[in-house]
Amino acid sequence: MDTLTALTGQIAQLDAVNSAQVERMRHEALTAQAPWKAEYSAYQSGGWWTTSLMSASGDAADVTIGDCAARPTVLLAQMPTIAALLAELGLNYMWVRLARLEANAFLWEHRDYDELDQVERHRLHIPLHTNTSAFLVTGGTKVHMAGGRIWRLTPTYAHGVCNLLGPDRIHLIADVYADDAYRRLARRPSLHPGAVEPLPAANRSMLTERLQAARGMADLGYTEAAERMLLRLFYTYALPEGAVYDLIAELHTSLGDEEAATRWTSAKRRLLALTA
Amino acid sequence: MPALQLSELAHANRPTQLPLLSKLADILATSPAVTHLMVRGSLAHGTADRLSDLDFVVGVHDAQFPAFVEALDDLMSVEAGALLPGWRDTIVAALGGVGMVFLVPDEGHLHQIDLYLVPASRIPRLRATVATALLLDREPSPVTAEEAAMAERFVVEFLARPRTCTELLIEHLVLAVLLHKRIKRGQQFVAYSEWHRLHTATKDLIKTALAPTSRFWGWYQLREEIAVTPIGRACLGDLEAAISGPAIPMATDVDAAIERMLALVERACPDALSGLGTAIAAYRSYQELV
Repeated sequence: MDTLTALTGQIAQLDAVNSAQVERMRHEALTAQAPWKAEYSAYQSGGWWTTSLMSASGDAADVTIGDCAARPTVLLAQMPTIAALLAELGLNYMWVRLARLEANAFLWEHRDYDELDQVERHRLHIPLHTNTSAFLVTGGTKVHMAGGRIWRLTPTYAHGVCNLLGPDRIHLIADVYADDAYRRLARRPSLHPGAVEPLPAANRSMLTERLQAARGMADLGYTEAAERMLLRLFYTYALPEGAVYDLIAELHTSLGDEEAATRWTSAKRRLLALTA
Repeated sequence: MPALQLSELAHANRPTQLPLLSKLADILATSPAVTHLMVRGSLAHGTADRLSDLDFVVGVHDAQFPAFVEALDDLMSVEAGALLPGWRDTIVAALGGVGMVFLVPDEGHLHQIDLYLVPASRIPRLRATVATALLLDREPSPVTAEEAAMAERFVVEFLARPRTCTELLIEHLVLAVLLHKRIKRGQQFVAYSEWHRLHTATKDLIKTALAPTSRFWGWYQLREEIAVTPIGRACLGDLEAAISGPAIPMATDVDAAIERMLALVERACPDALSGLGTAIAAYRSYQELV
């Protein structure tokens, strides 16, 4: 199996979305008075905001996802084009959100769905507003989710998302239970080679240099910045799973802070849903 | 006279840069090595407009000054989201330190951030000559004569380093942001001066790429040294096109100069673009070049 085919299990393009429809949805998303919430703080750098269009309670501010039969929120009523698309797709929605990722914002390497019931579900992304510095990393590969398509992400693989330089990235994200409507939508998953860019492999000397730079920052009192600099390596180099968390633990060990090193080792287990 | 409630109005009319200024000040002040933090320029004088840059003076303990300067690009990228590595400011007056200029996106716009880093031992002299608004004043631990001399040597060596093609490319991008501001404000004389600096940066870029060991000063002997190959002739053609334009540019002239420079870099020193593709795409987006 070639890399592209293997990657299609993790991230794939499904049906196209009409460009005029995308433009109207973008307008709705950019102009709505939405209650944006910064949830999942352990998973993000800050700057990842979500608001619900369909949620368990029907409240747009309820953004901690869980198994449920999702109810439309008042916010969705203000977005007729998006509501029409969701109805047209006819999927069994668990949760539907708008997600806004600001410039210089990151969702760190992680896995999703670990806390949910063991049923087949999928995550769909519809990019509404994006830029080339916003991309997903999974399997050591960088994927820019361009507009005009529905994308399927399998978030049980370790992945991370960034918007390095902005402007804001806004995606419509629908978590859906597998059913016939989903299977019709996902009948021909593909991945255009132009959307995919393998990250360069990291060598030990490069990692040593970055670790020294992080140590230099920490010595100046910028310990959290040093941690974030190491976390960002996930978006620059193809690294073994969890390697950035190991590097941070190594940084703290070199600083003599074993408590912080242990904290990051635990964070690695929690964010990557590792049982061992 | 009745007591008027003006605080809400004053808050609503505070400079738009204030939240970014506050964020950057917090970032810089996190380090105990930072002894002083000051703002100068229009924000310090109360004459800022929506286009005003943020102009900081950062005092750093002499012993940690070299490490701080070397860490600055990483710090500004990670904590402030700077688009590009800092441009070594060649416009700022010499006040015993080093000036760096960063382009930072905030609220959908690019902001110019000037950081003038100065060893703590030079701060009293600087404050006697430059008007600043003080944000932070931490008494540094005593600076030894050796530490002060080491910091001074570092400044001299840092400023003397020859500029690379990448640095000159970044200089163009920063100057273009400055020029757009001058044009919007109608500051013709300053626009003229910075437009000339932009052309000089183009000349320096060509010389750095194609005649790095040139023995000739400034604009002398360019044809003899450079117009000897097709690439050299094409680059000098670009330079001729640049200097044949108006003395005071319009916004479209500045945009054309940037596109011409990027094509020149692609031709003469493509390695200078390495790793900057995404940043340049973002720059174009913020500057509405796409």
